[in-house]
Amino acid sequence: MIKLIEKIEGEAKLNFSFEKGLIDFVEIEFLSTRNIEKILQNKNALDALVITPRVCGICNHAHLMASVQALESCYEELELSNRAKITRELTLNFEIIHNHFKWFYLTIMPLMGYKQYLLKATQPSQLMAKAIATIAGQYPHTSYSIVGGVVSDIGMMDLIKVENYIDKTLKFFEQNLVYAKSDEFLECNNSNKLLSKEGDLPNLVNKIKDNGWSNVGKSYDRFIAFGENSYFKKGKSIKTRLTTNIYIDKVQEASNINSYAKNVLYKERYYEVGPLSRAMINKTPLIKDSHRKYGDSILSRILARVCEIPQLLNHSKKLIKQLDLSEPSYIKPKIDISDITALGSSAIEASRGTLIHKVNIKNGIIQKYDIITPTQWNLANGTKESLGVSQKAMIGLENTQLAELSFKSFDVCSVCTTH
Amino acid sequence: MLSKKLKILWLTAITCNGNTHSFLNYPHLDIFMDTFEFIYHPSIDSAYTLNDIINKEIACDILIIEGSISTEYIKADAPIVDIINKYASKVQKIVTVGTCASFGGMFRESDYKDTTGLHFDKERPTSLFEHIKEKTISLSGCPVHPDIIANTLYSIEKKRAIELDSLLRPKEFFAYTVHNGCTRNEYFEYKIDNHQFGKKEGCMFYDHGCHAPYTHGSCNKILWNEVNSKTRAGLSCMGCTEPTFPKGDFFHTKKNMGIPQYLPFGVAKRTYLTLAGITKAFHIKRLEEDLFDD
Repeated sequence: MIKLIEKIEGEAKLNFSFEKGLIDFVEIEFLSTRNIEKILQNKNALDALVITPRVCGICNHAHLMASVQALESCYEELELSNRAKITRELTLNFEIIHNHFKWFYLTIMPLMGYKQYLLKATQPSQLMAKAIATIAGQYPHTSYSIVGGVVSDIGMMDLIKVENYIDKTLKFFEQNLVYAKSDEFLECNNSNKLLSKEGDLPNLVNKIKDNGWSNVGKSYDRFIAFGENSYFKKGKSIKTRLTTNIYIDKVQEASNINSYAKNVLYKERYYEVGPLSRAMINKTPLIKDSHRKYGDSILSRILARVCEIPQLLNHSKKLIKQLDLSEPSYIKPKIDISDITALGSSAIEASRGTLIHKVNIKNGIIQKYDIITPTQWNLANGTKESLGVSQKAMIGLENTQLAELSFKSFDVCSVCTTH
Repeated sequence: MLSKKLKILWLTAITCNGNTHSFLNYPHLDIFMDTFEFIYHPSIDSAYTLNDIINKEIACDILIIEGSISTEYIKADAPIVDIINKYASKVQKIVTVGTCASFGGMFRESDYKDTTGLHFDKERPTSLFEHIKEKTISLSGCPVHPDIIANTLYSIEKKRAIELDSLLRPKEFFAYTVHNGCTRNEYFEYKIDNHQFGKKEGCMFYDHGCHAPYTHGSCNKILWNEVNSKTRAGLSCMGCTEPTFPKGDFFHTKKNMGIPQYLPFGVAKRTYLTLAGITKAFHIKRLEEDLFDD
């Protein structure tokens, strides 16, 4: 039975086979590709900063950040101010937050039978877009982060404006998602206590519990995150056993004869990436508690994603306090990129998980560019013997509606998967 | 009771969905949704599925197309060209959103055969959809500004005549250049050509590839996300509203004998040289110093 999954920044087909009334296998097919990696070939290296954001309308900023860091890694020596590093982290945080609101209100709530609250999605996500635009000129599709720093020279008044956008977004969270002070939410280490509150998040999660779906969507319980910054930690977690020594060169991309998307594995094993992975690696108490009770289910995935909203808003406020506006935003690289011949790579945490860019430049011209997106990790189309993460999450379910919920709990992005 | 709202089909082809998300930044969506209804949209819930759109006869007033178009591109098992033709014949107006749907844009270089915009392959008119050209309005931009989408749709709803340029773009948005309204204009006017990235001061036209003086658009008139623009923030305009986008080499001004290869619209080389000579003869202390210097 084939089901067309829509409104995932494009479409995908899930081809289900059933055995004794339960899903026995599901094939994931993405239906198109745009060949961004090929478009990048033979272009000037800095053009990647304009082209790669066009991989995706919803996580364009993450691609910009991965791109600039991949190019900067081509330099043996490159000076970057703290101001530039913090500014980049801030705008990426804002994109992640903007995405999570859209996912919760546009995708997950309607799947659980609620009306789609369009304005609840757009109101806070627009605030985050304004915060990015204040710093980076516009959202989506800015290229304000360039090799050597950022182009903008924001002032104290701009920062006050950004702080106000953050506060307003936090207020939205407290008045809509969980009726509680966000500090209280962030200190909470008991998922049951959270679920005793009112708000769109506890209401939705309690509905999942009432429907008896608390354990739906479990996969390998294997998590990985390569992106590292002042908030996210790098590492992998297998059934809560945490290791921090992981290596990008062990990440493999494998072609997939049935789909335009390529599968991604680490040391020949599939891993989940995204907010739940990050929370397991960061050891976020509330999510660890949810994982202890409900495992790597849709319930934990939803909690982890929404939990990142106040976490990152709060962290961004701290980052703003660390910004020293007397530092330069941009330090011109001593060597022009047209004189650089090197291999470079980067890994950052995007809304949906680890995003990797790899570049090979010769005298500043791109010879080869590889992009590994978060959804390629989560939505790998494996075989019956070796299932991808989301495939495993759908096996054993009784109907395609639950399968779609499990599939979309990974926050599917078709355009990223099929760049 | 039948809804009196104007029915819109938002159809995506070869795209990044950037216009979809740009539109979600429209600040007055609450009011907008009182007037319009999406029979299909890539993110907003709709009464119909994609299969319904393709296989059933559904009333529609406006067809929005996002993304470049190729005869090879298949959406939900149907050629995109067939879906466009099916609705194009019945709607009042067709609106291409973004530079991909208007001129081919970034994904003109995708691997699909003969990828173009709906009526143009860059500036060159194409013939495949000639029969629906008189219904079409092109809203270019990568992405297009949400105000431009919403206000164009309102103009259609209010049956107001929209004056278009030769590339089918509404003059009210595209007769301006992106340069109009840029806070860095004085540095341009007096040819202060020592711009450095990361500074409030300076104009990116002379060295850093800014396309604003030769790009049609309202970015600095209506501002992005109601607060800023790329050039105000210190980032060069990439010329994303033009059929030539993406030109490439975005952060560098190509020059011949010291003269920028692309000059502001309507400015002859001789005029440019004369003006440049005059302005270079003066030193304007205020513009040579940092803005915040006493």
